[in-house]
Amino acid sequence: MDLAGHRVIDMPAGGIGELPFASRGDLGLDRRRVTQCALSRICGVCGESLARPVAFLGSTAEVARNAFHFPPTHESCAELAVARWGGARAVLGHDDVPGEWRLVTTSGFEYVRPGAEWTDRRAVFAPNSVIEERALTP
Amino acid sequence: MAIADVKEYAHLSVEEVEELGRELDQIRADIEESRGDDDAAYINRLITVQRSLAAAGRVTLFASRWKPAFFTGAGLLALAKILENMEIGHNVMHGQWDWMNDPEIHSSTWEWDTAQPAEQWKHSHNYIHHQFTNVLGYDNDIGYGILRMAREQKWHPANLGQPVYNALLATLFQWGVALHDLDIEAIRKREKDPKVMKKQLKQIWRKVRRQVGKDYLLFPALTGPAFVQTATANAVANLVRNLWAYMIIFCGHFPDGALHFTEEEIEDETRAEWYLRQILGAANFTGSPLLHILSGNLGYQIEHHLFPDLPSNRYAEISDRVRPLCEKYGIPYTTGPLHRQYGQALRTIMKLSLPNRFTTSDRRDGPHSPEVPRGRRRDSERPVRRAETGGWTSRATA
Repeated sequence: MDLAGHRVIDMPAGGIGELPFASRGDLGLDRRRVTQCALSRICGVCGESLARPVAFLGSTAEVARNAFHFPPTHESCAELAVARWGGARAVLGHDDVPGEWRLVTTSGFEYVRPGAEWTDRRAVFAPNSVIEERALTP
Repeated sequence: MAIADVKEYAHLSVEEVEELGRELDQIRADIEESRGDDDAAYINRLITVQRSLAAAGRVTLFASRWKPAFFTGAGLLALAKILENMEIGHNVMHGQWDWMNDPEIHSSTWEWDTAQPAEQWKHSHNYIHHQFTNVLGYDNDIGYGILRMAREQKWHPANLGQPVYNALLATLFQWGVALHDLDIEAIRKREKDPKVMKKQLKQIWRKVRRQVGKDYLLFPALTGPAFVQTATANAVANLVRNLWAYMIIFCGHFPDGALHFTEEEIEDETRAEWYLRQILGAANFTGSPLLHILSGNLGYQIEHHLFPDLPSNRYAEISDRVRPLCEKYGIPYTTGPLHRQYGQALRTIMKLSLPNRFTTSDRRDGPHSPEVPRGRRRDSERPVRRAETGGWTSRATA
C-alpha cells in the first residue's frame, strides 16, 4: 500500500507541503493536479477549497494575455508561494523565474483545455471578472 | 484502439474532429461574450423564488396537524429543495455564476441543502465525474459503487440484489451521495489515505448534524405541538427530492445511447477529443421549460458536459447549436422523453443484475473489451502514457 504519495485522484488532505500542491513534473506543474484544481476548485498551493476572490500568480506576459498556467490559489497562498518558491526554477508553472511576479484576483475564471494546434500543451486559466492586479516580490 | 477508432466517429478525419472542436469553441466564446445582466437576473430571481417557496413551506407547516397544510407544506418544501439542489446548488458549485462577482452566489462559498459537504461534491462530481466521464474504473457515478451498470463490470452474485439496491439508492439518495466521495471500495481495500478519510468523515458528520438538526429538530420544534407532523413533512420533502434527483441523474448517462469508455490514455486528449467524449457519454431528455428548470437543466446533459461552467439558463440555446453540429458531423446526439430515458436506465439495472450470458446487449455493437475491476483505479495503476494522441475505447451501456 503506497500512501506516501496518496492517490492523485483522491481528495487532497490539504496543507502546505514541500512543493505547491499542483507543482510536480513538467515545468513545475502536474497536469492531473492542475485539472483537479480547476474542476474541484481547490488551491494550487495548499489543496484546500478556494475562497473568493480567487488569485492567479504569473508573469507580466501571462497577465498581458490573460492566460495563466499555474492553477487558482488563495491570495495568501500566492503570497506564500512567491516568498517560498518564487526564486526557484520550474516550480510555479515557469521553466525560468519570471522577471516579476504578478498577482491577479478575480471572482471567476475560464479553464481552457489545450487544443491540438497548441505547441505548449498545457491548459490555461483566464480570469473573467478581475478585481485587482498587483506585483508580488519574493 | 485510438480515439479515431471509436465507432461513433471513426468516419471523421483528424481535421474534421478539430473543426468540430473549433465550432464548439465558438459557441462557448459567444455565450461568454453575451452573458450579462439578463443571466444574473435569472439566477437572482430563481433564488428569490426558491427561498420564498421554502419560507412558505416552513410557515405552512405550523398548521401541519391539519392534513391539507401538511401536504401543502411538504410539497412547497420539496419543490424548494429540488430547485436548490438541482438548478441552484449544483450549478453554482460548478462556477457557472462566479463571473457575476457576487460574494454569496459563488462556487467557493455555496453550501447546499443536502447531506454531502459541498467540498466533497466538487471533488466527486466536478472533478472525478466531469473529467473521467463514463470511464470505467474511474467515474464512480457509473452505478454509484453499488450498481453494475456496464457489461464490462465484472458480475458478482451480490448483483442479483440490484433491483433492491436501486430502490434503496433512490429512496436514500442524499445519504448515498453524502458517502459518495469516501470511495468505500478504496476503504475496503485499505487503500484510502487515513488523513483524507478522517477529514472527509469530519466534514460529513458536521453536515449531517446540520441537516438533521434543521429538518428534524429546529424547524419541527418551532412548530410546537405540530413537532411530529412537521418532522414527518420534512422527511416527505426530503424523500421527494431524493427520488427526483436520483431519476434525473440516472437519465444523464445510463440511457442506451450513452457510451462507456475504458482508459488507455487520458492526458493527451485534445480539447476537441474531450468534447467528443462528452457528447458520446451523455444523454439528454426532452420536456417543457419548467421540467428543465426543475431538473437543473440536466435535460441538456450533453451541453452541461461540454460546458459545465457556462450558465445553465443558456443550455437550451446552446443545444439549438450543438444538435445541428452533431448532425453535420454524423455524431449521435442521444435524447428522448424523460420516461423513455429513465425506462432504459431501469432496464439496464435489471438486466445487469444477471451475468452477461443470460442477457443480450441492447446495442448492435455490444461489448468487446475485457471486464474491469470494481472501484476507482489507483494512480499507480494508470497506464504508461502513449506517444500517439488519444486512446479511448467506447462501449455500450447494456
